[in-house]
Amino acid sequence: MSLLRVRGLTKEFGDLVAVDDVDFDVEDGEFVSILGPSGSGKSTVLRMVAGFEEPTDGEIALDDVEVVGSPPFERDVNMVFQDLALFPHLTVAENIGYGLKQSGVPADERRERTERMLEMVRLEGYGDRSPAELSGGEQQRVALARALVNEPALVLFDEPLSSLDRKLRQHMQGELQRIQVETDTTFLYVTHDQEVALAVSDRLVVLDDGEIQQVGTVEELYETPASRFVADFIGDVNAVEGRVVAVDDGTIGLDVGDGEVTVPRDAAVGDVAVDDAVDVCVRPFQVRVEPAGDDRDVANAADGTFSATGVVRSRSYQGSDSQYGIETDRWGRLSAEIRSASFEIDDRVAVAWDAADVHVYRRDGDGSADDDGGS
Amino acid sequence: MTEPSRSDDGGAGSGGDPEPVTDGGSAAVDGRVSDLTAFLRERPRLRTLSIAGPPYGILVFFFAIPLLAMLVVSFQADQIGGAWTLGNYVDFLTSDTYLTVVWRTFLISVQVTAIVAAVGYALAYSIVRFSRRTTLLLLLVILPFWTSYIIRMYAWINILQSDGVLDSILNLVGLPAVGLLYTKTAVLIGFTYVWLPLAVLPFYASLTNLDGDLIEASKDLGAGPIRTFLSVTLPMTINGVITGIVLVFIPTFGSFITPRLLGGTNNVMIGMVIENQFKSAFNWPFGAAIGMVISVVVVALLLLATRFGGGLFGAGGETS
Repeated sequence: MSLLRVRGLTKEFGDLVAVDDVDFDVEDGEFVSILGPSGSGKSTVLRMVAGFEEPTDGEIALDDVEVVGSPPFERDVNMVFQDLALFPHLTVAENIGYGLKQSGVPADERRERTERMLEMVRLEGYGDRSPAELSGGEQQRVALARALVNEPALVLFDEPLSSLDRKLRQHMQGELQRIQVETDTTFLYVTHDQEVALAVSDRLVVLDDGEIQQVGTVEELYETPASRFVADFIGDVNAVEGRVVAVDDGTIGLDVGDGEVTVPRDAAVGDVAVDDAVDVCVRPFQVRVEPAGDDRDVANAADGTFSATGVVRSRSYQGSDSQYGIETDRWGRLSAEIRSASFEIDDRVAVAWDAADVHVYRRDGDGSADDDGGS
Repeated sequence: MTEPSRSDDGGAGSGGDPEPVTDGGSAAVDGRVSDLTAFLRERPRLRTLSIAGPPYGILVFFFAIPLLAMLVVSFQADQIGGAWTLGNYVDFLTSDTYLTVVWRTFLISVQVTAIVAAVGYALAYSIVRFSRRTTLLLLLVILPFWTSYIIRMYAWINILQSDGVLDSILNLVGLPAVGLLYTKTAVLIGFTYVWLPLAVLPFYASLTNLDGDLIEASKDLGAGPIRTFLSVTLPMTINGVITGIVLVFIPTFGSFITPRLLGGTNNVMIGMVIENQFKSAFNWPFGAAIGMVISVVVVALLLLATRFGGGLFGAGGETS
């Protein structure tokens, strides 16, 4: 039995379908993120779980009890708001104790639990201050403590970390994970920031245009993205346009420009047939870069690699790795992430990657066909 | 071309042909303006005074000096320039009749303020939270101000008098006539109508600034609508509420037109007594003394109310 069960959840605002037939579960003790670009409907899903929006259709069951129709103050969930929504006229301790007071917890116990929660978020001695006197990171902790102190079945997060700078955000990610484990609470976290989502979550729900794209663990989503969108959204990806020329039991033959490459059958996500237009996707870290040789720039079906020549157009250091933007003669711009920093802008290079590392997605109609190959 | 404007009004006399003359003229103006600016820049106190001076001057001339004059007159016997005396104050403060009027005025003012605050808050709240046509609705609230106060009071006389508009409507639907004119109810209706916009505007201003997330946060933390109102909405807007209350309470306490036109002789308020001293009894010193006492009472009440209100809500939710 899942702690949270969402089935067929739909929300329409006039003609706009913000959330379209969404199903997912959150198990007890999990850290699940709903990840999607802005306007994907992720916050609307969260607000429906919290009770601030009524679904047009669908079910939301918390601990096997249907909660649609009951007001927010009767649901056993607490939310950490995007702008935190700390009460400015109350002290930090009063903010944290607010929920306990509403549920009639006596003053002594309230003080004790507030005190314990301040310790949990490492804000001992801050109880009498006003929220306005605290830094952004400290305010985040108060908001978290205010939600956790009520010991709800589920804590909801509406992108609360998005306003923090990178360093503080990474620190708070670690804190969130620690606190989640220590309090043994279930977290449902909404964000557009894949970095945050990948860092903290046990499982991800990827949402686009109100529809679920994929649900799975971080590894599943990164290694076997169910669609081009997911591949793009979770980490970076290079895409090369191609056409299916042969399909047999174990392999697929692909025409990618002026060469043919054979890839494993399971590289294709879903069914493909001969003549289908496809995107062949590969992660930048799987692309090899070498100095351009004489005759290496031929796509060779026999050795199962994709290769092309090109010119280095951009380079950025990212700690131990360097990210190169390479304008290939055959497939337009590709990016490669490699250890070595030995190439300069305008160097001619050869790029290659293994057929075993690609994912192949059928292009749907002509909706995305006007995208160019590189991304 | 730029040369003349650089020199200090020297260009004005230089030219025989028209062009340099106009150039020189504008340069002279430029020169004067920058002289003034430079003069003021070196004297920050004078600069502040040039901005703050006029309004303070108006306040002193039209408010402080008359008040002082009233204070002086209130200590004189019978007429302006009479012998110095405390008699006016003694007469007023020892007269049961006058004190009854003050008490009645106080009660009516409190009732009016309470009604206006409740109705006005509900109105402002609904404008802010439940409607998108905020500007239009606010305009409708302010609209009555465009008609004269007296005319609006005569309209109410027409509505409230026996066999007036209200009674006719009641007759139409088969209810008995009420003939509200010259009752306390009529006074309360009139005041509520007149002062409502004064309260709605500050209520509206404070409610617009209220972050809707705070209300959601409160509900999320288990507080129902009433508790959310008492522990978040009201405390967060208390400054606007106090402003609205002050704006209604003060003019009601000193009012004389509304109670005279709608209340008749049974609902005499202290403003009517004061007006009577000045306009009919021609006992200016006595009227001034009553005015001084009322001013002190009202200011004291307001200080108390603000202190009390601030303490009640400003300190936060632990009090309830």
